[in-house]
Amino acid sequence: MKKNLLVMMLVFLLAILAACAPDRAEETTPDDAGEDGTEEVTEEAKPEKLVIWEDIDKSKDWLPAAIASFEEEHGIEVEFKELNMADKIRDQLRLDGPSGSAPDVVTLPHDQIGQVVIEGLIQEITVDETVLETYSESSVTAQMYDGKLYGLPKATETPVLIYNKELMEEAPKTMDELYAFSKDFTKGDNYGFLALWDNFYFAHGAIAGMGGYVFNEAAEGLDRDDIGLNNEGAVEGAAYIQQWYQEGLFPKGIIGESGGAAMDGLFNEGKVAAVMNGPWAFQGMRDAGIDIGIVPMPTLPNGEPVKTFMGVKGWHVTEFTKNPYWATKLIEHLSNDENSKARFVAVSEIPANVALVDDPIIADNEGAKAVAVQSQYAVPMPNIPEMAEVWGPMATALQTLATGKAQPQEALDEAVKSITTNIETNHPDK
Amino acid sequence: MDNLQTTTNHKRNALLLSIIPGLGQFYNKQLLKGLIFLIFSSSFGFVFFEMIGEGFWGIVTLGEIPKLDHSVFLLIDGIIAIIITIMGLAIYAFNLYDAHQNGKRRDLGIAVNSVRKQYHNLIDNGFPYLMITPGFFLLIFVVIFPILFVLLLAFTNYDLYHSPPNNLVDWIGFQNFVDIFRLDIWRTTFFAVLAWTIVWTFGATTLQVALGIFLAILVNQKDLKGKAIIRTIMILPWAVPAFITILIFSGMFNETFGVINRTILPFLGMEGIPWMTNEMWTRLALIMIQTWLGFPFIFAMTTGVLQSIPDELYEAATVDGASIMQKFFSITLPLVIFATAPILITQYTFNFNNFNVIFLFNGGGPAIPGQNAGGTDILISWIYRLTMTSAQYGKAAAVTMILSIIVISVALWQFKRTKSFQEEDMM
Amino acid sequence: MSNKKSKLIRLTISYIIILAVVFIIIYPLLWVVGSSLNPGQSLSGSKMFPDNPSLVHYKYLFDSENSNYLIWYWNSMKISIITMVLSVISVSFTAYSFSRYRFIGRKNGLLTFLILQMIPNFAALIAIYVLANRTGLIDTHIGLILVYVGGSIPMNTWLMKGYLDTIPKELDESAKMDGAGHFRIFFQIVMPLAKPIIAVVALFTFIAPLGDFILARILLRDEEKFTLAVGLYELVAKQFGNEFTKFAAGSVLIAIPIAILFLMFQKYFVSGLTAGGTKG
Repeated sequence: MKKNLLVMMLVFLLAILAACAPDRAEETTPDDAGEDGTEEVTEEAKPEKLVIWEDIDKSKDWLPAAIASFEEEHGIEVEFKELNMADKIRDQLRLDGPSGSAPDVVTLPHDQIGQVVIEGLIQEITVDETVLETYSESSVTAQMYDGKLYGLPKATETPVLIYNKELMEEAPKTMDELYAFSKDFTKGDNYGFLALWDNFYFAHGAIAGMGGYVFNEAAEGLDRDDIGLNNEGAVEGAAYIQQWYQEGLFPKGIIGESGGAAMDGLFNEGKVAAVMNGPWAFQGMRDAGIDIGIVPMPTLPNGEPVKTFMGVKGWHVTEFTKNPYWATKLIEHLSNDENSKARFVAVSEIPANVALVDDPIIADNEGAKAVAVQSQYAVPMPNIPEMAEVWGPMATALQTLATGKAQPQEALDEAVKSITTNIETNHPDK
Repeated sequence: MDNLQTTTNHKRNALLLSIIPGLGQFYNKQLLKGLIFLIFSSSFGFVFFEMIGEGFWGIVTLGEIPKLDHSVFLLIDGIIAIIITIMGLAIYAFNLYDAHQNGKRRDLGIAVNSVRKQYHNLIDNGFPYLMITPGFFLLIFVVIFPILFVLLLAFTNYDLYHSPPNNLVDWIGFQNFVDIFRLDIWRTTFFAVLAWTIVWTFGATTLQVALGIFLAILVNQKDLKGKAIIRTIMILPWAVPAFITILIFSGMFNETFGVINRTILPFLGMEGIPWMTNEMWTRLALIMIQTWLGFPFIFAMTTGVLQSIPDELYEAATVDGASIMQKFFSITLPLVIFATAPILITQYTFNFNNFNVIFLFNGGGPAIPGQNAGGTDILISWIYRLTMTSAQYGKAAAVTMILSIIVISVALWQFKRTKSFQEEDMM
Repeated sequence: MSNKKSKLIRLTISYIIILAVVFIIIYPLLWVVGSSLNPGQSLSGSKMFPDNPSLVHYKYLFDSENSNYLIWYWNSMKISIITMVLSVISVSFTAYSFSRYRFIGRKNGLLTFLILQMIPNFAALIAIYVLANRTGLIDTHIGLILVYVGGSIPMNTWLMKGYLDTIPKELDESAKMDGAGHFRIFFQIVMPLAKPIIAVVALFTFIAPLGDFILARILLRDEEKFTLAVGLYELVAKQFGNEFTKFAAGSVLIAIPIAILFLMFQKYFVSGLTAGGTKG
């Protein structure tokens, strides 16, 4: 009895399962064909609507106007939504894309490009050579991955020297000058110069300026197997960094995760003469009532400029758009000279458009000018996904240097070793 | 098969007929019940049939065509399909059981229940089921379902290079678990991190629990004035989101500028302490902060429990000449622990996985030379570092499972212990 | 006499300890309040007593032109209160069943869920998202509330079951003799006696949604639907230029309803309720 029952139930179950094998052959083929086919067709067909995701608080006073002119020209309605660019745009795109509610155009920091391209969240774009000539070369390079173009630059940023005009009459030309000034000025709670050099984002300037590099450049982008973070120059750079900490010019209170908040606080209280920080910090300092001057970073003791990391924010066409052609047109429109200028006026993020560098609106703006000049020496952050393995070990190395727990050579060797192992483990050769 | 000799064999007939739900009940002349079974199961099959089929296909293959099939979504749909199938089978099994039972009654010559009697039966025996069903359904989808997802994910190669939509995820068996134990970068740091995780879990939790219970009892004293205001202040650390207080603490503990090294320690005649750059001190600071954050919960809970202790117990103890301490250890503490033991254990496991405080206070730092975890990284924050930065989702799930096994075994062992003493003393 | 003296000593020591604890609690919180009054933006620049205190952040939050704070506040209150009500109902149901009835799964059911909830599941967020998407509950408050209620059941049920176990079973048995039905015993006899624990459960389930930004951030997309925690998290999650001080102001305002609720429920925390039951 019981056995019979079991057998019967099993048979019944199997019958259900067998019946359920999906008849996908019919569904998929036309879909596939449709996908291939549409790319040709859409050049003509206009979509009803395109959707943009812009960074949070960054659409005010310019995007509606830019959209209006696009709508007027092409008759395509455009909507936009604000989302945190640092992580939320990417995370949400991952989830919304396959669910069919993805936007057509997004903005992303360029160091995420490699990752989102591999995942298949954004797609390659084709634009005229003349369009590319609008932007600075390095900012376009930052939008390339594996030799292909994946976006158009929206804004660039790189750390510069910000000084308190009341405490420092004239900005130093060399780091040696700054060092001497700092030696003299640093007393009690007052500091001549502060920088978050336990964070590789800021420390890279000194390390690369002395001859280190993250990944060497190869014909097709970056060579992940050639890491220059423990070469002679890098060690010199690290030793230089350590010197500032060892001599007490940088206090221990700015080391670690909360160091940035501590440094900003001190500067805003008028206790620090100069800091190394990015353009995002300008407004807060002015709000705090500090009369700031902004200049490019002074040159290093070896005569080289500080080779800061450059971040490029770009406009990208998502993989999920049904209208790549018009989405590309839209990002061309958003990043053209006119709209980039309007955007700069509205949100103070420095555009990558070559024509705007000499435009009075930027040339006469101290901060924008300093960033533009510093950008010439800056190195775009590597946008290959292997870069994710660099931040952690380098932060460890720099922090142990800053707290005097390790010496430059050994700390960097250790870091490069973990970076290499991590890359080998987590990023198999393609 | 059954040893009872009966002339009829209604139970077999009813059972066989019930292969189509409801027919067995019809056979037993329970028309209404049969109708309910029939309608319910046919609509169930009708609604979910296709979904279940596709779900099973998806979870087995995880998709076949990149860009079109989204492996992760297929996996999730598959889990939903499995859950629905199990529910369906449960109903089906109940249908068979019911037909069989009633058939048996008829074989034995007992009349089957009338509709009215069935209703009363349902209310009487089914009452507890009726009450827990809504909650149980929620639990299946909120608790069980996500766990199944993580569990299954641990057996896939989901990482950056196998990420949908561009690529498919595949089943890879135990490969992730093998890798975790094979790779040097994982193994070398593991024990250092594990040791601190254990110290952290026990140190922070025991302190917060002890403080919470102690203060609750202290404030609960009959002749203490101002209970309302004191209790309200006591729960304040819990009322402000932990996020902001941790960040505030992080500022207060700053070595050079924080108020602790600046004002409080000099006031007490002490030197500044390297809170953020020496891992021992960072650990101490973290334990103190977690105690601050965690005790109000225990406090509020214990305060609630204390109300259930009848005064007579204390009066009787006083008559017997028990001291305050004796009353505390032989009445209050056992009763409080009895009522809250499982929740106290969840506090331990909560801290074992307490990512926020570690991450927000000092990012797991300070850095330690020659180790790829920070000095205060606990297992969970270390895994976060290792996996999330390099998008190793499959491995992260595998480690999560290993961690869970540890946590669950310890918790189970503890539960068993507290349970036995509960049964003896209290029930 | 000596009795009185020892009582005095006991109370004095108690007050001293309480005072010290209160100080330790209040001190960092004053910093939160202080930084919310600081006109600047950074956390470390702020002081407990700012040099030039200003309500600028509060004004910003309440200015509906600039911020959705009031909408978020309303959303959060709505979600918290509904979660609280639904949780208390379902928790009382389950706890009562576990305390008074025998049924399949009684012995280990609750424990199983308590244990399962210990599994860290930040990877599972995707699963919840997709489930919500499939059921059309994405970007709705109902979806979020259901997840909160479900998550709150095991622990609170355990807590309440422990309490209900201390209410003598003779009470419901004698009621049953008098012909009271299941629901009547539950609503009219057991629940009134369980007020203190209901207050505790209500408080717990009210607070939990207020502090959660992880789930809510995944499930809610529309800024108009955000809860306080999500909205405030967005203020500090910006890559650069965090607005800690505004966040602090927002947090102070979150703490207020919680404190009020706690004060309201205080009377139920006060002893003597079950004692009466035992005597009767």
